[in-house]
Amino acid sequence: MNRFWSILFLLVPILGAGTCFMAAFNIWPLENCWYPANYSVQGETIDFLNDGVHLLCAFILLGTGLFLAWNLWSYHSKCEGNAKHIHHHRGLEISWSLVPGAILIVLALYQYQSWEDNRLQRPMIETDGVQVEKQPLVKIHAKRFGWEMHYAGPDELLETPDDIYLENLLVVPSGEDIVLQLESYDVIHSFYVPKLRLKHDIIPGMKQFTWFRAKEEAEMGIYCSELCGWGHTAMKAKMEIVSPADFKTWMAQQVESALPKFAEVDEQ
Amino acid sequence: MIGALSVLSGCEPAPAPNFRLNSIEVLSSERMNLEEGEKISDENLEKVGTVLTSLFGTPDEPKFPFLLGDEDPAHEVISLDNLKMAAGPVSLDQAEYKTGLFRKHCAHCHGISGDGAGSTAKTLNPYPRDFRLGKFKYKSTPLGKRPTDTDLKRVLVNGVPGTAMLSFRTLPEEDLNALVDYVKYLSIRGETERLLISAASKLEGDEKLFDLSLAESDETLEDFEDQLFDLIDDGGFNSRVLPKWLNRDRHITKPAPAPASFAVDHPEHKELIIKGKELFHGAGGCVQCHGPTGLGDGQTENYDDWNQWAKDTQAIPDLPDSYADYTAVGALPPRYLRPRNLNMKVYRGGNHPDDIYRRVLNGIEGTPMPSATALQKNTDDLWAIVAYVKSIPFEADNVPAKPVNDKPIH
Repeated sequence: MNRFWSILFLLVPILGAGTCFMAAFNIWPLENCWYPANYSVQGETIDFLNDGVHLLCAFILLGTGLFLAWNLWSYHSKCEGNAKHIHHHRGLEISWSLVPGAILIVLALYQYQSWEDNRLQRPMIETDGVQVEKQPLVKIHAKRFGWEMHYAGPDELLETPDDIYLENLLVVPSGEDIVLQLESYDVIHSFYVPKLRLKHDIIPGMKQFTWFRAKEEAEMGIYCSELCGWGHTAMKAKMEIVSPADFKTWMAQQVESALPKFAEVDEQ
Repeated sequence: MIGALSVLSGCEPAPAPNFRLNSIEVLSSERMNLEEGEKISDENLEKVGTVLTSLFGTPDEPKFPFLLGDEDPAHEVISLDNLKMAAGPVSLDQAEYKTGLFRKHCAHCHGISGDGAGSTAKTLNPYPRDFRLGKFKYKSTPLGKRPTDTDLKRVLVNGVPGTAMLSFRTLPEEDLNALVDYVKYLSIRGETERLLISAASKLEGDEKLFDLSLAESDETLEDFEDQLFDLIDDGGFNSRVLPKWLNRDRHITKPAPAPASFAVDHPEHKELIIKGKELFHGAGGCVQCHGPTGLGDGQTENYDDWNQWAKDTQAIPDLPDSYADYTAVGALPPRYLRPRNLNMKVYRGGNHPDDIYRRVLNGIEGTPMPSATALQKNTDDLWAIVAYVKSIPFEADNVPAKPVNDKPIH
């Protein structure tokens, strides 16, 4: 019983770091418990940051946990001699303020580019020799409990008569910067596509933009990640990333099928 | 812990839900067919329930009266396998045999009985659809005809934008088919129920809906069966409810070909819109309800058919006393039907020009939106109205001169 607590405390870093390791390397029984596959370009930086923070946490957890367990083991009640009580150790205090501070500053500086790319600087496009912000391809109007997708249509402008409207289905081409315009009819929603590492709150009354570039073709889910009412869990949509050529064909089909059958005109 | 809780609270399963009696219809029939103060006897109401259960089963074990066995034409309308998949408690076993789709996806709004009074119904505007009237708004068939399966499925896939009806695009095809069948089943059951209640309210004095004692002796069993047959066959189900659901595809309205000027880039498109605008404000009469700018601010004090009782009793939404007797039997407080705001760019029955054409030509079932039969022959006029309606959100007066707020906000 003497060393019971030290062993119990030793389990914390071992189990904590161990489960993290098993999930990251798909080891039974924690297969498929790590993040889902990433399909977006900016997701790579986000995953790298995520991995880095995880690794750092695992390292700190292991370090502090093992140190605690070692102390408990060495200085349990039956041990001879007394533990040393330390008060106001300037060196220790400075180091445990500066080291975490430095880590946070490095992280903050490192992630800033990613933040700017994903939140501040909308992709630019050259029009008539001038760099302008890329126009949104789709306006996503969130509502309790679904997603209205308004595609800009052939004229590539929203709010025009040729817009294509579809409910709960977002089809976008891969390999291009896609800008989405986000609006809400009612309450706060959050546009969440885990496989693109994309999440953006949607606030009623605000017109917001988010963007991404998909690496390859895939099918994935869109979810609402802001509790918005009783139907929140049902607020799912389908997302299809297709090749640019397929997207053109698909868009042409949508335009075609949005037209009625015309009377045949007699050319004479 | 869980064990202790289950001992305390009891771990018996909740009682199986039942179909709820259409008590609004009961009250309305009593008002219409009986002297003041008289009521349909509890015995007869119980018999209505007995007949319905013998025909349609329960929410856990649905049945359908295929009166002619395998040859019954109703097989074209309802598949029993689909009903079983949609009914019952929510479950999914390892062989992926599903039940309870309706309870999982629909019942919280539409109610177990399809009465549009599920637990969330009160918080929604518009209220969820009550299937028991047999009327559906967004369909390709004319007024008085039932929607096709494709119409019902479209509503499931696309949802009804502007309402709480969401899109179930992510569900597999077989689930959608099962739900479509279950909606038809609830609708047919509800219509049969209304006919039975009406029959019960027309009985005089001590008359009974049917005499159960006849079934007790072999000599009178035939009379008993005749009674039931009259009730089911002539009384409604087989003669008045089911036939409406047969051969629905025959009635689909096929829109006439659109004039070439309907295309947005056609040089004469503007003229077509102007013609449509004239019809909208003139002969078409649209402006009376939809208002001069299509905001839906014309006639705003109409009820739809699902609130027929409110129309009959001249209930006023702001005066709860004027409809207290109906809310006491479970009716939701009535609301006036708002004519549609045509500036929203999305249309509840679908955005395709064909959909709007059908709405204008056929009207909308159960609502004051009339069918434009006068224009039936002149299809170019119909298309002109469609072109104008589609252009309303983009009319110069309604669009801000400069895009507002198009910078990203953080």
